[in-house]
Amino acid sequence: MIFNPEVIIEKLPELANGLLVTILLWVAGIAGGVVLGFLVATARRFGGFVTNAVLGSIVEVLRGTPFLIQIFLLYYGGPFVGLMLDPIPCGLIGLMVYSAACYSEIFRAGFGAVPAGHVEAAGCLGMTRLQTIRRIQIPEMAVIVLPPAVNLSVILLKESAVLSIITVPELTATVSAIGSQQYAYLEAIFILAVVYWVLVELTDRIGRLAEYRLSRLRFSKA
Amino acid sequence: MTLSAITIQNLVKRFGNATVLQDINLEIPQGKVSCLIGPSGSGKSTLLRCLAFLEESTSGMITINGEALGFFETPSGKRERLPPGQIRAVRAQTGMVFQQFNLWPHMTALGNVSEALKIVRKMPKADADEKAMAQLRKVGLENRAGHYPSQLSGGQQQRVAIARALALEPKIMLFDEATSALDPELTGEVLKVMRDLADEGMTMVVVTHEIGFAATVANQISFLDHGRLLFSGPPAEVFAKPRHPRLDQFLDTYLDRGASMLA
Amino acid sequence: MTFKIFTLLLQAAVSTIGISLVSIAIGFVIAILLSAANLSGKAIYSAPARVFVSFFRGVPLLVQLLLIYTLLPAIGLNVPSIVAAIVGLSLCTAAYQAENLRGGFASVPKGLIEAAEVTGLSPRQTFFRIRVPIALRLTLPALVNEAIMILKSSSLVSVVGIIELTKMAQDLASSTYLPIPIFLSAGLIYLVICSVIALIGRYAERRLARTSI
Repeated sequence: MIFNPEVIIEKLPELANGLLVTILLWVAGIAGGVVLGFLVATARRFGGFVTNAVLGSIVEVLRGTPFLIQIFLLYYGGPFVGLMLDPIPCGLIGLMVYSAACYSEIFRAGFGAVPAGHVEAAGCLGMTRLQTIRRIQIPEMAVIVLPPAVNLSVILLKESAVLSIITVPELTATVSAIGSQQYAYLEAIFILAVVYWVLVELTDRIGRLAEYRLSRLRFSKA
Repeated sequence: MTLSAITIQNLVKRFGNATVLQDINLEIPQGKVSCLIGPSGSGKSTLLRCLAFLEESTSGMITINGEALGFFETPSGKRERLPPGQIRAVRAQTGMVFQQFNLWPHMTALGNVSEALKIVRKMPKADADEKAMAQLRKVGLENRAGHYPSQLSGGQQQRVAIARALALEPKIMLFDEATSALDPELTGEVLKVMRDLADEGMTMVVVTHEIGFAATVANQISFLDHGRLLFSGPPAEVFAKPRHPRLDQFLDTYLDRGASMLA
Repeated sequence: MTFKIFTLLLQAAVSTIGISLVSIAIGFVIAILLSAANLSGKAIYSAPARVFVSFFRGVPLLVQLLLIYTLLPAIGLNVPSIVAAIVGLSLCTAAYQAENLRGGFASVPKGLIEAAEVTGLSPRQTFFRIRVPIALRLTLPALVNEAIMILKSSSLVSVVGIIELTKMAQDLASSTYLPIPIFLSAGLIYLVICSVIALIGRYAERRLARTSI
């Protein structure tokens, strides 16, 4: 067995392209997921029984089925209902919807973790519900939801590799293709693994730094 | 005769099947300190939370300085909810202090006090900060303005919470067991702030287990038991012997908490 | 026709469950060993364990599977692809379970361990008879979550050609041109299995609650 990573190094620009697609998909997936997830969590908390039950079921289905199945359904099933999507938009939509379901659960737990008294205090001082959400609940939640949100973001980065299966030209797809062309598949996959590993470790570190910076704003669970 | 700051008429509060307040009638005079005492679960905190409109009563009326709080009764006896803006306006006359302080952990002491001035009263930041600082000075904490709640002792947190409520210049202050979550050596500083406030003539409704405070500061003491207001009156009258057996039983439990002077 | 398809999916689901169960069990054993290495306090054991956990938590499962699938033959191990798949899933879940257990071990009250020591238990006895059982009770909810994650992740072994629920759904979808009902059915089957795991987990938690700290 010869291990020769040089043949991959030659293809570095291509690899960089794949990395860029992965990072863009990842960041857009997080951004869309956070916004959508927050709306879902807010609607479930303040929208009454029916809204909560309907959204809750959708979230449960998305969290209880493999991401790959959801992507297949969207990519192969979409055209049968007039939804013709290219791999990249399909992957992006899939990633956003899946992450929205996961983020919504984190925000829901966040809403629940803000002590009721903090919200009551805002009400006693004359704040409206919107003011209370914006000025009290969101900032307090931020500290609580940060660790699980960072965790989830890391999971999403890794989950995005699945999009290679529907030929999204992201990191995994690009590097496997390079590996096959260059007859150096093992080297390619090895480098691929290392790139992901570094990205994940980096994200983790940044997340922990942010947690540390915010930790003094934490309240005790009295 | 003194004017009533708060009038409570036939107030009933139920949680599901449980009746926590049964037909409460009480007048709280202006500029006086009124203490609500009673065993745990007697409904005194619920009554106070009804006054702050944190709980909505099931039936009955609460009037604050002559204005109905939350609900009004039509001439035909139907109970209707007032519009939110009006409810906020009446609520603005009261300030609330909680047992658990409920300071917002992501804001400094100054931020906690100035927040509502800025976003509810729409005051410019500089004015709000100045006013908030004055309130912090009043509770002796101007040198802690930049501290976050987690960096303050329980007694300091509660004083910030009092400053936060006072900043909006309420006519009535509501205290819900303001010293119960504090270590015994820290209750004094909070009780002192409350005494000073009483001396200034603030109308105060105080739910407390500090019988000593109630006996010395209150103008009116109301004793609740099992959701009923058993009696209400000036301390000398309420604590005079012979006492109601339930009150005697209750005081026994609190003998070592400053009530020994009444034994 | 539709009944036939559903039966095929259910049969494939049995493979999915089998692969997941075996991987979780193997992963659990490895995770306990990793925990022992971590708690040994000796860098020669704990450092490799930490790298292992960091790597398998830091690399997408799909990439791990591709790596193992290519690596095993390259080092002369010509094993069936199902073995490669189970090895991949096991190593991955081992890393996650070890991380969960780390939290559990950290929450075992120090006094209980000291009590074991003063009663004369050896470090090994203390580990297996005191720390592991208590940590397990503390991490049971996380373990149940991990089982659900692995069940869902096992869909990725379809990529290396294993016929399980996802691969079967994919094949049926392309041969029948009925992707929507087929992928929905597959999703439903996953959902039901996940719910059953969650139910078993809740039952186990209740049973263990009596003996929890």
